[in-house]
Amino acid sequence: MTASYERYLDGDPLIVTAALTGGVHGKEANPNLPETPEEIGRAAAAVEEAGASVVHLHAREPNGERSFATERFQAVDDAVRAHAESVVIQHSTGGTAAPDADRHLPLRTDPPPEMASLDMGPLNRYEHLTSENTRGLVDSLHEEMVERGIKPELEVFNDGHLNEVFGLLERRDLADPVYATLIFGPGTLTRPRPRNFLNAIDNLPEGALFNTLGFGRHQLPFATMGILFGGHVRVGLEDNVYYRKGELATSNAQLVERVARLADELGRPVATPEQAREILGL
Amino acid sequence: MVCPFLEYRRESIGPESEAVRERAFDEPRAYCTAADRFVQAMRADICNDRYELAHDRDCEIYLEHAGDERFGSENGEGTESEEDPDR
Ligand code: SF4
Repeated sequence: MTASYERYLDGDPLIVTAALTGGVHGKEANPNLPETPEEIGRAAAAVEEAGASVVHLHAREPNGERSFATERFQAVDDAVRAHAESVVIQHSTGGTAAPDADRHLPLRTDPPPEMASLDMGPLNRYEHLTSENTRGLVDSLHEEMVERGIKPELEVFNDGHLNEVFGLLERRDLADPVYATLIFGPGTLTRPRPRNFLNAIDNLPEGALFNTLGFGRHQLPFATMGILFGGHVRVGLEDNVYYRKGELATSNAQLVERVARLADELGRPVATPEQAREILGL
Repeated sequence: MVCPFLEYRRESIGPESEAVRERAFDEPRAYCTAADRFVQAMRADICNDRYELAHDRDCEIYLEHAGDERFGSENGEGTESEEDPDR
């Protein structure tokens, strides 16, 4: 924890990841959530302008339903690149209930994404679903990421998944620095309490960098803690559709602008995409 | 077999939260007539029985409404339909 707080004191640049779309809710929850490639491309440009250096992407069908197809991710990437030349592209490999083979498809765009998410273990959804994310799947996704030069973003849904990070490090060679997103919220996620945040930071592997993600109304306070404790932050409509209680966010950029203002006030400049690449070793 | 409560609609004035009550979409979108609202992208895969999902096992909304008389005749399936033994 001391080392990470020193990154705050040193004013290290803050990587802001914008999770633009997600794979769970859509425009039925917030009409400002981008779903089509063109909407996602324009949103990417707006969040980059607002201070995001990484965009976390999912693909959808034209009717807003989930797609894992390489072609749909390609269309999203092409639109992002048409509007935002330098932002770092990170694909999701998440997919509750989707076959393991489909989970690999987002890694196969041309060029491959610079980063991709790697879910570290099980997550319950609704009343009857579980995204299993077996170790076998984690290993096979990681293997393909290594082959394609993709940096994994390890998604840590709860403290048990910190053990899974150590397990993965025993099974596989991960390029430095290890980059883990610590996720706080309801259900299977780590209970969103400051003590749990500090505990999670303390239990990361030596030298690992962390990204901070709070779901829903926890997004802003956990992003603030992430800034203060030398981590990085993820915001966006995938994880939180509100700006404040009862008020839907008008865009992903609105959420990014707010954390960029906070970071500035707290003495951490937001990283440019080039700085993000340097920090993450892309 | 897709869920009998599933329809594809462009518009709704369903009883959702105040902020998102009225909706109009360019593409017809998965709408749950049991819950009177558009469904989430992830849940739409349950509604359509995609992958290994089954609405009559995996959707709590279906399980709650399976015996709802409002939908018995509208969906062309009686409450004792052999096609849908979970009802
Ligand atoms: S949400 Fe459930 S009940 Fe409604 S259409 Fe989908 S599967 Fe059927």
